[in-house]
Amino acid sequence: MHISIRGQFRTNRFGQAGVVILLIMAALALLSPVLAVDDPNHQTHEAFEPPSLAHILGTNHVGQDNWSRLLHGARTSLLVGFFAASAATLIGLIVGGSCALRGGIYDAVVMRFVDALLIIPAVIVLILVAAYVNPRLPLLIVLISLLSWSGGARIVRAQTLSLKERSHIAAARTFGGHGWYVMHRHIVPDLGPILVVEFIHSFRRAVFMEAGLAFLGIGDPTTVSWGSIMKNAVDYSYMGVWGWWLVPAGLALSLTILSLTFIGHTLEPMMEPRLMEEAVA
Amino acid sequence: MKTLIQRNIPTYLVALLVIVSINFVLPRMMPGDPLMAIYGEEALVAMTPELKAFLLRSFALDRPLWQQFLVYLGQTFQGNLGFSYYHSAPTFEVILGRLPWTLLLVGTALILSTGLGVILGIESGWRRGRSLDRTILSGLMALSGFPDFFLAMVLLLVFGVFLKLLPLSGSLTPYSGLSGFALALDVLRHLILPVSALTLGHVAGNYLLTRSTMVTVIKEPFVRVARAKGLPDRIVQYRHAGRNALLPVVTRTGIWLGRIVTGTLFVEVIFAYPGLGSLTYQALLTRDYAVLQGVLLLVAVLVLVANFCADLACARMDPRIQHAY
Repeated sequence: MHISIRGQFRTNRFGQAGVVILLIMAALALLSPVLAVDDPNHQTHEAFEPPSLAHILGTNHVGQDNWSRLLHGARTSLLVGFFAASAATLIGLIVGGSCALRGGIYDAVVMRFVDALLIIPAVIVLILVAAYVNPRLPLLIVLISLLSWSGGARIVRAQTLSLKERSHIAAARTFGGHGWYVMHRHIVPDLGPILVVEFIHSFRRAVFMEAGLAFLGIGDPTTVSWGSIMKNAVDYSYMGVWGWWLVPAGLALSLTILSLTFIGHTLEPMMEPRLMEEAVA
Repeated sequence: MKTLIQRNIPTYLVALLVIVSINFVLPRMMPGDPLMAIYGEEALVAMTPELKAFLLRSFALDRPLWQQFLVYLGQTFQGNLGFSYYHSAPTFEVILGRLPWTLLLVGTALILSTGLGVILGIESGWRRGRSLDRTILSGLMALSGFPDFFLAMVLLLVFGVFLKLLPLSGSLTPYSGLSGFALALDVLRHLILPVSALTLGHVAGNYLLTRSTMVTVIKEPFVRVARAKGLPDRIVQYRHAGRNALLPVVTRTGIWLGRIVTGTLFVEVIFAYPGLGSLTYQALLTRDYAVLQGVLLLVAVLVLVANFCADLACARMDPRIQHAY
């Protein structure tokens, strides 16, 4: 399992493009307080303005500056993606790892539950739960991560099962290393690449879910999100304002998801070394 | 040794139980009167005392929780999913009325995206590293980044608003009085845009899966034997290699179906297509919780059944799988 992440990117143009796009998005999100010309929720009387020097992407139906909203949307998107993916990967690691190490009934029962969770369409559950609790951002992050860790748990378990049999881990065990020690000292470092890939996949799913829910109007209305920008813009698309209102938000969301897809695809061979020899692009 | 099917059935039962439990627990966790939590404030105001008493009785809301759960299970399996106050009809009927449109949309999109993905995957994997492979690969990878609802909006704007080639919304031309072939054509015209959005949004997954299996399959000895026998490329490609590359696709059909159904929820909202997605959106706006719960349950059952069918198909296609676990 000694595969360098940097090595993967050196030869893969998709991966390089993905990293560049993601870094640009992150930079825009981080710099949004500087780059935004107005408070994204500040309503003015200048509604449906076309692009001008004051509002480079025009204004929306309640006179908010589209450019500022776009930037703050990046913040929401990446924030939800990052934290939900971290939590989902962590839960997946704990559940998958403990199942592989303990085995027995615990493993059988928990994995049944994991498989069940894998089949259930997460977005629909999320819609129902969100309709009841109307979550603000932190709760949304918790809900997304609770519904998207199961795939990671499966992969972690499978990998841990094979790692468990290797000699260095067997050695650590014969020296009396137990449960958690073996886990954090030997297994987690070896799982590294897999966790990274899983993190990227969860990140992509979380960004998608956040936008989708906001598109349906779920969640805190004061949170600026690409999803809700698109929904508002579509409702007024007959006014011919979509070019600077709908398209930028849609492209920003698509580019973010695209960059994560590219990064994930670049790192994929680390989980399946059989594919390693296959140079993609 | 258990077969694949025997192994998976408990999973499906657990999944169903999880869904039913979510539906049961969620409203009861909310503060206040259970009827109000289940149906929401607006619904309660609109209800007649008779309806309230009927609902209270039929779902045993005045009894302890465990009894409520048993009654709830019983009612659910009899198809009693509660009462939609917005449509003032039983939830089950409301959902059943919308279901055919969603099935049409999802079914067509599933067939098209799987078929297209598999064919492109076979062609691309066969020519790995050559220019056609690279073109298809980069094209579909780029496409896979676009969320299906954004694709839907773009298609709507381009073909519906600018070119005015295809209808903007709905599933039929209202009050057109069409019948027979003309009606079918009208349905088809309304279907094109939403189905295209879904197909484009989901073709990449099947394509990548088929392509990567194809890449490993063509290295197997039996493929070399088939070529050595002098069989034409096309036959080796599809009958020998392609057939094996199909297996993981079928295994994952259930999961794709789940994703396409999710995508349909959004796409239907954009095209105002009168299926479960629009119903869900409307239910969200009107806080019609009974409908939201019903849709969740029904979609879950659909996905589980699809997974089960995929298992059956896999076992038929590859006898080895029967005892793979």
